[in-house]
Amino acid sequence: MRSERLTRWLVTAPPLIFMLVFFVLPTLIVVAASFRYPGEYGGLAPLVPEGYTLETYRFFFSDVIYIEIFLKSLWVAALSTGLCILLAYPLALLITRLPKRWRDLMILLVVLPFASNFLIRIYAWMIILGPQNGFSLAVNTLLGFFGIEPVRLLFSPFAVIVGMVYVHLPFMVLPLYTNLERHDPAWLDAAQDLGANAWQRFWKVTWPLSLPGIYAGSALVFIPVLGMFAIPDILGGTGDILVGNLIKEQFLGTRDWPFGATLSLFLTLIVLAVAALAMRFSRKRLRHA
Amino acid sequence: MKKSCTTEYTECTEEKHFKKLRVLRVLRGEMLFAFLLAALSFSAAARDELHLYNWNNYISDATIARFEQQCKCRVVQDYYSDNEEMLAKLAAGATGYDLIVPGGDAVEALIRSKQLRPLDKSKLPNLKNINPIYLNQRFDPGNRYSVPYAYTVTLIGYNVEKIRALGLPTDTWAVIFEPKYLAKVKGRVTVLDSQRELMAAALKYLGYSANDTDAAHWQQAKRLILRAKPYWAAFNASSYIKELTIGNIWLVHGYSNDMFQAAQDAEHAHRPFSIGYSTPKEGAVLALDSMVLHKSGPRPDLALQFINFMLDGKNSSELTNLIGSGNPNLAALPFIDPKIAANRAVFPDAEGFKKLEMFRALDRQQRRVLSRIWTEIKVR
Amino acid sequence: MRKTSPWLWLSALLVCLFLYIPLAVVVVYSFNDSRLNAEWVGFTWHWYQVLLHDEEMLQAAANSIFIAICASLIATTLGTMAGIAIQRYKLRLLPVLTITPVAMPEILLGVSLLLFFIQVLHLTLGLLSVLIAHITFCIGFVAIVVRARLAGMDESIFEAARDLGATPWQTFRLITLPLIMPAVVAGALMSFTLSIDDFVITFFTAGVGVSTLPLQIYSMIKIAVTPEVNAVSTLLMLLTLGMIMLATRFDKSVLRGQG
Repeated sequence: MRSERLTRWLVTAPPLIFMLVFFVLPTLIVVAASFRYPGEYGGLAPLVPEGYTLETYRFFFSDVIYIEIFLKSLWVAALSTGLCILLAYPLALLITRLPKRWRDLMILLVVLPFASNFLIRIYAWMIILGPQNGFSLAVNTLLGFFGIEPVRLLFSPFAVIVGMVYVHLPFMVLPLYTNLERHDPAWLDAAQDLGANAWQRFWKVTWPLSLPGIYAGSALVFIPVLGMFAIPDILGGTGDILVGNLIKEQFLGTRDWPFGATLSLFLTLIVLAVAALAMRFSRKRLRHA
Repeated sequence: MKKSCTTEYTECTEEKHFKKLRVLRVLRGEMLFAFLLAALSFSAAARDELHLYNWNNYISDATIARFEQQCKCRVVQDYYSDNEEMLAKLAAGATGYDLIVPGGDAVEALIRSKQLRPLDKSKLPNLKNINPIYLNQRFDPGNRYSVPYAYTVTLIGYNVEKIRALGLPTDTWAVIFEPKYLAKVKGRVTVLDSQRELMAAALKYLGYSANDTDAAHWQQAKRLILRAKPYWAAFNASSYIKELTIGNIWLVHGYSNDMFQAAQDAEHAHRPFSIGYSTPKEGAVLALDSMVLHKSGPRPDLALQFINFMLDGKNSSELTNLIGSGNPNLAALPFIDPKIAANRAVFPDAEGFKKLEMFRALDRQQRRVLSRIWTEIKVR
Repeated sequence: MRKTSPWLWLSALLVCLFLYIPLAVVVVYSFNDSRLNAEWVGFTWHWYQVLLHDEEMLQAAANSIFIAICASLIATTLGTMAGIAIQRYKLRLLPVLTITPVAMPEILLGVSLLLFFIQVLHLTLGLLSVLIAHITFCIGFVAIVVRARLAGMDESIFEAARDLGATPWQTFRLITLPLIMPAVVAGALMSFTLSIDDFVITFFTAGVGVSTLPLQIYSMIKIAVTPEVNAVSTLLMLLTLGMIMLATRFDKSVLRGQG
């Protein structure tokens, strides 16, 4: 029994200590930083004699504009997540219907976009959406056909959403596929025998059963989109500022670290709330299932 | 889940098992190799190295290579694309840089936060080459810490053919801010993604100083910017060079050396148009970048050697001929391409020089107020 | 085999196009004979030659690969331990600690580590700080995958081994490890790709003279991206593809990550 306890500690301690030192402590420092004054030339003001303050929190709540940005970021994250579900579902479903050896290859093909550089993938979209390239011309010709004025695709909210969905789509496909693959075809046969048409079979059987996969994928898409700043920076227009950009600006532009820390903390709280919500949902669902 | 796992388990024959162990052993070998590599890369660091923290694209490879040959050392460069980015890294405590090339207000911030090493001018005989009008600036009286490197002007760049065809003026900020002009180039304009630069352009257009910190004037500038914003395509400080060169964007608020590059790129790529740039008559921001020694740098000797090397006329002239920046070095003038030397946007004459202003550092309260205005500009 | 509706085929095909057109653009433009990299001009190998002689880019690539290998090895080890500990010992604290970084915005992780390294450890930023940061955000991913694999297993196997007199180490090496191997390899691969592609956290934690590929590419953006960057991404894609192929060969279920 002693060796059992020893093993337990040998296995638990290294990751536990690592995370305590390199994750918990740094996070506590950020929490502390949000209560300090900004340094005259960036960084933080010395603790002595300036001490701690609630000034930064007051500043945050003194203007609805910051809350507006949070709401907007939540909306963009929700929209991107929704679109990811919409795009990932048919692909994941199709892969599960393929013969076994094709499935691995297809999953490989979905993972492969991960392997090129993130910034480069965004730049590829800059090329594609550029006003002189085929795609833009085609869209505008089509719009012109209906008598609608030409639109600018690059530097627009549309481009930001496309970028967000593109970068995060594999995160949705993978968990969804892992879930769908486990579905027993017999369930669908049973539903068919009971007289359900294809649409009903999907809504009454496949969809509810795939919800845990959807939740997992949604968390993997929603959270990174919420904190993203590179995509709005590169593809966005004049109004596309999200909370990630705001935080980056505080650290790299205004040199206002306490405010950056405060914004980051609010962002983390929101993320944790969303994660808790998703967890509760998926648990409830599982109990029903 | 359970089902597939148990089948997995029965499949796990002994042979397969051993194969896995073998792979593990290979992995272990790889780890050893990785650590060897690490050891190698650390021992390489012991050579003579100058760590230079410079703007992107602010020195040519040829110049670096020549210096490396002369000092028999290696130059390791890190880059930043914004003064603030560099200050943020240093404020966070980044160390090990011998030499940095910050703009004036950043020099001021670095001096006041006591991060710089005073210069030993006896090691800098070439300092005499610098045009005195660029010495003894407000950010560093007596040049105790800094030596001018090169300068850029924030101005208007444009697609010559398009702007001419539309009949727009190019010598005034009005073209960036006035809806009557902007209506003709809607969606083809970018402005810098920089709080201070854009604010300065607006303040200049309104007839104030670029360093004006009066709250009412800032609000007035904000309203001007918000009125013009619907016509702009983006706030952009990076890809605008390329967009201008390709022809997607026709009018930009940008830096003179970036415009120089765009013009050159457009010429080399045989674009059917050319890129022009000019300083607005209301005045503009001049950024004088200086070489300074960071306290944490381990090799001030190499850094001083580098400064003196860059103060040499021929070496300094490459900053203009290859990068397109303005040059404060009198000894460099004979080596500079006469076409660039005649360009008033790169080398302002005495009259133009008077209209240029350098940024002063803002204090933390001003930074917070400006940041809120900036957020409002971006959201509304 | 059920009949698959043509609509499903069509929509999946469209999604594949969406995924692959940008990649195709990246690869094709790496052969583009134009510095501007905006429209197709002509075919050239030029950018690959430029790449071969670009010392800074190669150094950055070497740094990236070195960091990715070390980070994925260490994160996989720690993450596997965490996964086992979470599943076997039901420690409440550990899942919160390992999984929260996965859920946290990258920028916050980067900033908090930066503050910690500088203000608490007084560590000079460099390879080591980047490595630690990468390990921190990779552990959670490995732990999740490993735990998911263990969760589907029959505990009685381990008990049987113990009853037969196996030491904990023997049980682990001969039974647990082979069983969770696909998850471990999947975790390692995931860590590798996350590490080699990370920009935000690296941006904050990298120090003097330590550039990684994403940082190098970011700094090139200012000067307008030349097709050299496409060339380096193409090679990187080939490398990762090769690695995944190798891993798939080694175990088919790697790609699914769990059983």
